[in-house]
Amino acid sequence: MDAQEDGTTVGTQSEDQDAAAERGPDGGEQTARARTPGPGRAGAAEDFTSGRDAPPAMPKLGLRGTALFLWRQLTSMQTALVLLMLLAIAAVPGSLYPQRNVNPGETEAYLAENGKLAEILDTLGLFDVYSSPWFSAIYLLLFISLIGCVIPRALVHLRHLRAAPPRTPAKLGRFVGHTRVQLPGVDADELVERARADLRGRRYRTVVQEEKRARSVSSERGYLRETGNLIFHIALLGVLIGVAGGHLTQYRGQITVVEGEGFSNSLTQYDSFDPGPWFDASHLPEFRFTLDEFRAEYSTSTNEHQFGQPTLFEADMTVTTPDTGTAEQTVRVNQPLEVPGASLYLLGNGYAPEITLRDAEGAVVAEGPLITIPMGDMGYTSQLVLKAPDAQPEQMAVVGFFLPTGEIDESGPHSQFPALIDPQLALTVYTGDLGLDAGVPQNAYQIDVSSLEPVTGEDGSPVLIRLYPGQEYALEDGSTLSFDGVRRYAAFDIKHDPFQKFTLVMALSAAGGLILSLFVPRRRVWVRVRPDADGAILEVAGLARSEDPRLDEDVRELAARLAAPAPPAPTSRSRKS
Amino acid sequence: MNEQLAEVSNLLIVVAIVVYILGLIGFSADLAAASQRRSDQRLAQKQLVGAASAAVPEAGGGVFPSAGAGDGGGAPAPRTMSALTFAYGMTGVAVLLHLAGIVLRGVVTQRVPWANMYEFSMSGAAVVVLMFLIFSIRRGDLRLLGTFVILPVLIVMLVAQTFWIVPAATLTPSLQNSHWLVIHVIIAVLSSGLFGLGALVAVLQLIQSRYEAARAGLGAAGASDAPAAQAEGQDAGAGAPVWGRVGSVLDRLPGAKPLEALSYRIHAVAFVGWTFTLIFGAIWANQAWGRFWNWDPKEVWTFITWVVYACYLHARATRGFRGNKAAWFALAGFVCVIFNYTVVNTVINGLHSYSGL
Ligand code: HEM
Repeated sequence: MDAQEDGTTVGTQSEDQDAAAERGPDGGEQTARARTPGPGRAGAAEDFTSGRDAPPAMPKLGLRGTALFLWRQLTSMQTALVLLMLLAIAAVPGSLYPQRNVNPGETEAYLAENGKLAEILDTLGLFDVYSSPWFSAIYLLLFISLIGCVIPRALVHLRHLRAAPPRTPAKLGRFVGHTRVQLPGVDADELVERARADLRGRRYRTVVQEEKRARSVSSERGYLRETGNLIFHIALLGVLIGVAGGHLTQYRGQITVVEGEGFSNSLTQYDSFDPGPWFDASHLPEFRFTLDEFRAEYSTSTNEHQFGQPTLFEADMTVTTPDTGTAEQTVRVNQPLEVPGASLYLLGNGYAPEITLRDAEGAVVAEGPLITIPMGDMGYTSQLVLKAPDAQPEQMAVVGFFLPTGEIDESGPHSQFPALIDPQLALTVYTGDLGLDAGVPQNAYQIDVSSLEPVTGEDGSPVLIRLYPGQEYALEDGSTLSFDGVRRYAAFDIKHDPFQKFTLVMALSAAGGLILSLFVPRRRVWVRVRPDADGAILEVAGLARSEDPRLDEDVRELAARLAAPAPPAPTSRSRKS
Repeated sequence: MNEQLAEVSNLLIVVAIVVYILGLIGFSADLAAASQRRSDQRLAQKQLVGAASAAVPEAGGGVFPSAGAGDGGGAPAPRTMSALTFAYGMTGVAVLLHLAGIVLRGVVTQRVPWANMYEFSMSGAAVVVLMFLIFSIRRGDLRLLGTFVILPVLIVMLVAQTFWIVPAATLTPSLQNSHWLVIHVIIAVLSSGLFGLGALVAVLQLIQSRYEAARAGLGAAGASDAPAAQAEGQDAGAGAPVWGRVGSVLDRLPGAKPLEALSYRIHAVAFVGWTFTLIFGAIWANQAWGRFWNWDPKEVWTFITWVVYACYLHARATRGFRGNKAAWFALAGFVCVIFNYTVVNTVINGLHSYSGL
């Protein structure tokens, strides 16, 4: 077995003060418990290789001792591993059950459907997994463990960064790539200097040591590995802080804007607004825009999978902010509008047919583009609700569908294609008390028609009004309904997360730290030069302190370089298998 | 969009599948021959040196030959060499056809060819084969693994070809205008491919270490009554044949330790890739929906996968978990990758569910 693989022996051999980070049999020895030397051998290197000793006995510890013991348990590698596993497992149900914060509608539907069982699941937090106490407990414990783990390691590492590489082991024979060469006629001191320069040139930290009848260069490199590991773990903490900070201070709101109309950023203009607990409404940034045009295109491919699928959504807007003045910009999916203090995302669209409703007395009681709600079919069949509380003699409501490419058959009114090929309205008019005065807030896009009277035709059945653009329909009572044209509308989310950049920087730092931590080999290399009768004996060897497949090769190459100028017959005594 | 070119792209993939099958036959023939070879070798050895010194075949526990080294197990019989050459030839041709099909699909749709499950699987499969070819050309003793690489690749390709195939299509707006789509998905494909290779190596490591334990156990037992064994004309010592022909194949593969190291290296690269998949996915989500993290099922499983592989890396550094136990975490991670990619895409509905499936 070569020396690299025998952690215990190496630990003792290298006698170093910083064996805390010594690697074990497979190069993965932990560093985390460096501060818990085993009983009776405090400070001895191999104790740092993490408790391969018996588990800590638990005699009378006292309060402080117990606390310390618990803290050590919490910050141990095993606990970290268990908590990580728990985190993975605990995240699973959130992907299986609908989540309230992601999909509230679906969650309510699930609750309604599954009765008692769903209630139990709800009490357990399975519909709010990621904000449930148990999920939070796991990641909070994990991050506490992380802090407890990282701080001592960072301190140890800082000490290492300032310390010189440890003493060269007395016997190099057991280490990786050990090479021994007799070099007649070579000046020992000059060779030591050359070795040191060579290693320094390769970014090793070196120190020359005077020994009995010999001098040696002890060198080490790869401190960045541990630095990277610390950056990685600390940055993870940063990500958590960023996410939490964002949650507290962000805001997000939804707006809907019809072509030709505008929006200016104030709370009253939002359809819905969802601020974080620490959001300060006075910080709402000032900006306004008009939606000049919204373009949508749809595939006319003969292929059934593709037919009617959208191929383009674009919103042309004119944006004004105090800082940047007025400018035109096109917003697309994946290309949000960025203004100072807010971003605006194009998330939805639909049709807004222009309708004018006159009551029996000839007064206009409803007018203009009316936002309709697509029902989710390919053809954009859209639901329309128009409330006219001011109509005389009775309040009126118009309910029905807007069809971009209309067809009315036995399955009812529906649209066959999402673009405006044959736009039409299919409507029913109701009269009666709309109940708007009852003080109960109502959804503008919904209406309960059960208490209303449909306007009927001569045969006594409700009239189904079918209208094409430019047409007008006169009802029996003298009221009229006209379809003047179609505009489109776009729906946007506006949000600002002050911590977003911080979170991103942290995530990228974590990734950077991870790369260093995984791919920088940490190693020691020793060169010992012993003057002898007619020259010097050169010995070179290395120790891998992490996964380091190239060490052997590198050590041998170093030996070859050092031996090169005076090439004698090398008496290589390799121990590498 | 050119429908005929799209047809050609499909055809190229189908032909590639057929040629892969030929490659697979080559690799299997080589594998079968390898299982035969040991007994031949042993026989020859015995005639040369005598039974007493029946040496442990060094391939079993050895280290990798350094870059550029030839076939691991000495000079193989010419007959089997040609099976391997055939396998490499076919696989090489197949992967070229495969790549051509993918590139053509990209040309036809004027976008990157990994926007739905069909394309994702096909691209991922090509990555795995390419990686394997590169790895195994550098390391002779991995060539024996061809069967275990090509077989799953073929299965994935066949499943994609039969169940997930969708016609070449341009992207829906939600997938347009974002270079993050390109970056996010290409890294996801690459790291999934690497995770696949890593899982394969981890499985081999587990098998190899069982095998080594069995062989050592038998060797220790066998050594005491070596004369008896000799008398029966059997091998004695640490290299005692156990597990029959499977054992013969295992003898020619790297030992459990070097396999573990290789598995770690593959997983380390793949994990970094997955970390970026996660980050770039979040950036993309933020651009598209204004939320970088929304606990969408796809995101959840990407996260779970990441945590499980983090467990693997941690386990390697944790007392009591090193080596084989850690390897189980890697395999659990790969189960998550597969789950994320099949069940989550098809059954669990989320924003990510690919259209057309
Ligand atoms: C937030 C949860 C955590 C995650 C996602 C995580 C992830 C990782 C990953 C991926 C690695 C391997 C890469 C590397 O070597 O840097 C690693 C290494 C390490 N982690 Fe963590 N970790 C977490 C928490 C912890 C905690 C709580 C501890 C302390 C007990 C810890 C201690 C270590 C140590 C000592 C290593 C180095 C292992 C080695 O030397 O190879 N980690 N961690």
